Amino acid sequence: MEPRLTGINEREALLYLGYRGGEIPAGIRTDLERCRDTILKTARPRAVWREFPLNPDGSLEGTAFRPEGNDVKELLRQCHHVILFGATLGAEVETLLRRAQVQNMADAVMLDCCASAAIENVCDNLCADLQEELEGYLTDRFSPGYGDLPFAQQPEFCRVLDLHRRIGVSLSPGGLMIPQKSVTALMGRSDRPQTRRFRGCAVCSRFETCELRKRGDACGQAE
Amino acid sequence: MPVDRRNKTITLLDGAMGTMLQSAGLPVGELPEVWNITHPETVAEIQRQYVEAGSDILYANTFGANRHKTAGSGYTVAQLIEGGIRAARAAAAGTDTRVALDIGPIGALLEPLGTMSFDEAYDIYKEMVTAGEAAGADLVIFETMSDLYEVKAAVLAAKENTRLPVWVTMTFEATGRTFVGVTVPAMALTLTGLGVDALGFNCSLGPKELLPMAAELRRWTNLPLILKPNAGLPDPATGAYTITPEEFAREMEPALELGVSVFGGCCGTRPDFIAALRDHVAGKAPAERPAPDRHGVCSATAAAELSGVRVIGERINPTGKKRFQQALREGDIGYILERGMEQQDAGAEILDVNVGLPGIDEKDMMVRVVKALQAVVDLPLQIDSSDPAAIEAGLRAVNGKAIVNSVNGNRETLEAILPLCKKYGAAVVGLCMDHEGIPETAEGRIAIAERILCAALEHGIPREDVYIDCLTLTVSAQQEQAAETLKALRHVREAMGLHTVLGVSNISFGLPAREHITVSFLTQAMYAGLDLPIVNPNQKAIMDAVAAFRVLSRQDVDSEAYIARFAGAETAPRSPVQTGTMTLETAIGRGLKEETAALTEKALETMSEMDVVNTLLIPALDLVGEKYEKQEIFLPQLINAANAACEGFEVIKTRIARKGGDSVSRGKIVVATVKGDIHDIGKNIVKVVLENYGYTVIDLGRDVPPETVVETVIREDVRLVGLSALMTTTVVSMAETIEALHRSGHPCKIWVGGAVLTPEYAREIGADFYARDAKQSVDIARQVLG
Repeated sequence: MEPRLTGINEREALLYLGYRGGEIPAGIRTDLERCRDTILKTARPRAVWREFPLNPDGSLEGTAFRPEGNDVKELLRQCHHVILFGATLGAEVETLLRRAQVQNMADAVMLDCCASAAIENVCDNLCADLQEELEGYLTDRFSPGYGDLPFAQQPEFCRVLDLHRRIGVSLSPGGLMIPQKSVTALMGRSDRPQTRRFRGCAVCSRFETCELRKRGDACGQAE
Repeated sequence: MPVDRRNKTITLLDGAMGTMLQSAGLPVGELPEVWNITHPETVAEIQRQYVEAGSDILYANTFGANRHKTAGSGYTVAQLIEGGIRAARAAAAGTDTRVALDIGPIGALLEPLGTMSFDEAYDIYKEMVTAGEAAGADLVIFETMSDLYEVKAAVLAAKENTRLPVWVTMTFEATGRTFVGVTVPAMALTLTGLGVDALGFNCSLGPKELLPMAAELRRWTNLPLILKPNAGLPDPATGAYTITPEEFAREMEPALELGVSVFGGCCGTRPDFIAALRDHVAGKAPAERPAPDRHGVCSATAAAELSGVRVIGERINPTGKKRFQQALREGDIGYILERGMEQQDAGAEILDVNVGLPGIDEKDMMVRVVKALQAVVDLPLQIDSSDPAAIEAGLRAVNGKAIVNSVNGNRETLEAILPLCKKYGAAVVGLCMDHEGIPETAEGRIAIAERILCAALEHGIPREDVYIDCLTLTVSAQQEQAAETLKALRHVREAMGLHTVLGVSNISFGLPAREHITVSFLTQAMYAGLDLPIVNPNQKAIMDAVAAFRVLSRQDVDSEAYIARFAGAETAPRSPVQTGTMTLETAIGRGLKEETAALTEKALETMSEMDVVNTLLIPALDLVGEKYEKQEIFLPQLINAANAACEGFEVIKTRIARKGGDSVSRGKIVVATVKGDIHDIGKNIVKVVLENYGYTVIDLGRDVPPETVVETVIREDVRLVGLSALMTTTVVSMAETIEALHRSGHPCKIWVGGAVLTPEYAREIGADFYARDAKQSVDIARQVLG
């Protein structure tokens, strides 16, 4: 299963640019389209996933890893397996963003927003493909930092998935992923249909950085 | 070049260790090296199976025994490495199997992608290699590497601190690049230059996918080649590999024909894979390898192969450039980076880097500029200095294979600089002059070229890395010298077979319409064999001449590049910008850069620099800021307007620099993204906008320790400091930085910003101001600095 970047949600990118309805200036639209195409052309999405049987104590079989918190417990209540995945747009986009910040900051801002929307698209596609390939029903995806799943468990996600070796993602000393446009998450697999219960800002992967949330707005599509 | 004897016999390595340990009970995600202490028998038993299967070299279980990964394991690096070597020795007992200290990536990315410094990486590797040598390793193998810069730190650490032979294998994706974009030629040129003993590939992919890369690699190096692939591609769900040992060995056989002489297996391979390799490849002779037919210089991600004309951009050089000198004095790295990117866009393939200026610490500046440039530019660099200390610092900082500009025929210069070129694997430019000056005849210059070549060869620098500069003299002063230069050049290229460098623009000095002379001389020089012209690539006529020459010399096959260059291009020169009745306010409001520059020039005809700044540029920016606050325009529009205003400021700065006056700065501001945080785009936006309001911004970058902020603020006597943090986890270090600033007693105001901050939180951690965005940051700057 190859990771797929199939598109960039323009509305999502616009929201991050500070768009609050009304007319979009022609220049901005053209620039945004150009930046979107640049990201689509530059990104080399990579992803890795592994599935583990879920032990009764909440740990993943064959590992020393036990995701913490009540939210994950609730999420996995009906599940017998857990899927961990990591996905990234790659160092190519990281370099592109850095160059743009030297040469043209306006472009850099738009490229950054498009890249954020792009990694979400890669994750959406990966989850859809996994649902297609695996038997049973998958839960929502849940990342370190969502709800009460500690951000401090990010290193364990990386170690278990061997992210550095497999897709070139590593952690900064502060625990942030590099390349920045990367995501790790877990999902449960159950025999019963799973409701999408974890929606809203509190469990969104961009909770920390969301400009909308800061302003008191919401995009309506938080995952 | 004779084929190395080492290539004539096969060396068998071992197979996977991690997966073997996992099937012996090591939990996924646990540090395997701890088992060197807790389960040494299990480790040795696995390795014994490899010895029995035929391994000539065992990789000790030390892959991740670096201080970054072992922290919290309860063991020191030295303990884990000593344990690993001891277990391997036990497994090899009674055989002549050698034991390698196995070292993988640190697991934290180096700058510029990550935050770990080159020196820190060097230090981590130094700890490992010295421990490995002390424990009795026979050699060191750096494997599974994807960052060439990290490999350079590792190789230097091994070569400078131990006597161990150094082997390197890197991990590539099917695209032919590593995760961070390193190419096969870049790996080959850089590591061959650094003097490793063998190199190749491991992990990544299966044998089939790696063979084409091995075929590429052998064209760029004469070193023994290593192939240690995975057992095909893993099942994503379980991580298991499905290829059989027999299939694996059969797929490896074609590597013999490529002259690969070191074989092994990586992820998913087991002792039976090594046994199969023994049956299929060991005992056979690898094919004789022809001498490498490709060479050149490189950055980590792109090689400039010397197979035709390669343009060296000359613009990163303060000589005769007041504005550039000002940038150097003010430490304005951004200005220098823009000169680099501009030249890359204009078609330069190598960048000359000269930062020598009286009053500037050249060594320190060279390192800063080299590191900053290679973060944003793909091109190989030419370190241009006469100071051996600056040259060495530059060569150490370079990621890739560089050129040193330059040595000359003087014995002392050769003795000082050639060893540096050899050590760091750089090519070298030799100027045809010595203590007696520049010989007036071609013969005199050729004699010096021969002397330089001789000295380079004596120092172990290969012939293809010696580039000769026959020197351009001004034709208006010494008219007969143009022909002598060309005559010498032709001889050096044709009879001596060396590559040639030439700075051409000096030819036309003192004449009107210089471009005609320069371009004509360039063309004649290329015809005579010049392949590395040092020029200003921003001059269209020069790059046009190069494009035309490439067609006429069949370098540009089917004229493809030439046609692409001129497809749709207007033949008439572009008309100057029409500003008509446009005001500066409109030009800035619409983000029109050229118009803003032109209108600023026009305003300066009747107004002083400061008046233009205060009554035109700033009010125009204010208007844009108000619109942004009223949500009438977007952030990109605000930035575009600020960028346009910047063109206006640039006109003014250049004019003042020319007059030798003080800069127009409205005050100094320090900005930094705090320690632990790497998300700095918000800080960078603020920086751009503040600069465009005429403030001098000292940007300390990201992941900045509190002490650096305090030191800078005191040293530069700064009154305003901006700190950004994006994550709740890093706001803690923001609070620490603020506290450190307060403790220093230096009177300065602090403003903070970042996604998770609020005005209340900002107050709580002791900041003087909170800024929601770049516009508010400007308001704060005005309030504090005026």
